[in-house]
Amino acid sequence: MAQTRAVAGLHDVELAALAAAGERPAFGELVRRHGSAVRGLLRRMGAQPALADDIAQDAFLTAFERIAEFRGEGAFGAWVKRIAARLYVRRWRKDSRLTDEQESEDAGHGGEMSTVARIDLDEAMQTLSDPERMCVSLCYGAGMSHAEAAETLNTPLGTVKSHVKRGMDKLRVRLAPAQGEGREAERQGHV
Amino acid sequence: MSELDFELRLDRMFSEPPHFPDAELFARDVETRLERGWSMRRLFIGAAGGVAGLVGVGQFMGAGLFLKAAGSEVTSQAGAVGKAARELLSASSSLGAFPVSPEVLWMTVGLGVLALGFAITRATQEF
Repeated sequence: MAQTRAVAGLHDVELAALAAAGERPAFGELVRRHGSAVRGLLRRMGAQPALADDIAQDAFLTAFERIAEFRGEGAFGAWVKRIAARLYVRRWRKDSRLTDEQESEDAGHGGEMSTVARIDLDEAMQTLSDPERMCVSLCYGAGMSHAEAAETLNTPLGTVKSHVKRGMDKLRVRLAPAQGEGREAERQGHV
Repeated sequence: MSELDFELRLDRMFSEPPHFPDAELFARDVETRLERGWSMRRLFIGAAGGVAGLVGVGQFMGAGLFLKAAGSEVTSQAGAVGKAARELLSASSSLGAFPVSPEVLWMTVGLGVLALGFAITRATQEF
């Protein structure tokens, strides 16, 4: 318990250094800090909750194995998210759940503008097709560039860009505040 | 909302981790798997170290006997091996001549193997 309290106040980079020296409680603290973000990303990418949690666990175990590679140049959370995203993409490909031809818009309901004032990101992501969701998640959730996403997905860069563009357009429509709410917020802002 | 504003908003939304009521359980599951993997690895490295230690001691003993045999003017390789084997047998039979009992001697050899295995294990973990 005292050990848990001791690591709780440390920065991610310090925790990673301790984890690299074999201090597993330090790594446990990193899992506590970033576990939800990684699980959330995987679900937004389209993984079912149980699968998302399995892959998130695998991602953290992989991160522990490769902790010496983490030099602290970027954020630890972003680093683990990339590992998790790559693991999920690998699994996704293996399961052959998606091919480029499967780009049908059946999963997308972007045209049905809801009158509900606020729709959270998770719900909005559900309106994207699988390739769009995957590309948007990799670029905005895992912080990859379009080129990195293209490499991860083994897809042409242009295809990734167009998936991101279409996905963003749908999200923009979906996440736009309803007119009434917009006016309300505006009014509150003036008060 | 401009494209840039929307991208920034999306970035913010993505960076806000969702709340999971079982977050602590998830972290403990990862720690358990980590612990299990670590134990398995230590077991594996220990076993590998033990085998390596055994091989190492065997090599030392073999080299000593071979040198001894080579030094006794036996020219043919077959002769050397035969002589080494005979010396090994005679060494085994003359264990009683040592000031300690054969059990203690073999125990010492065993401990030596373990120590060598431990050293190799540590070296593997360090490097």
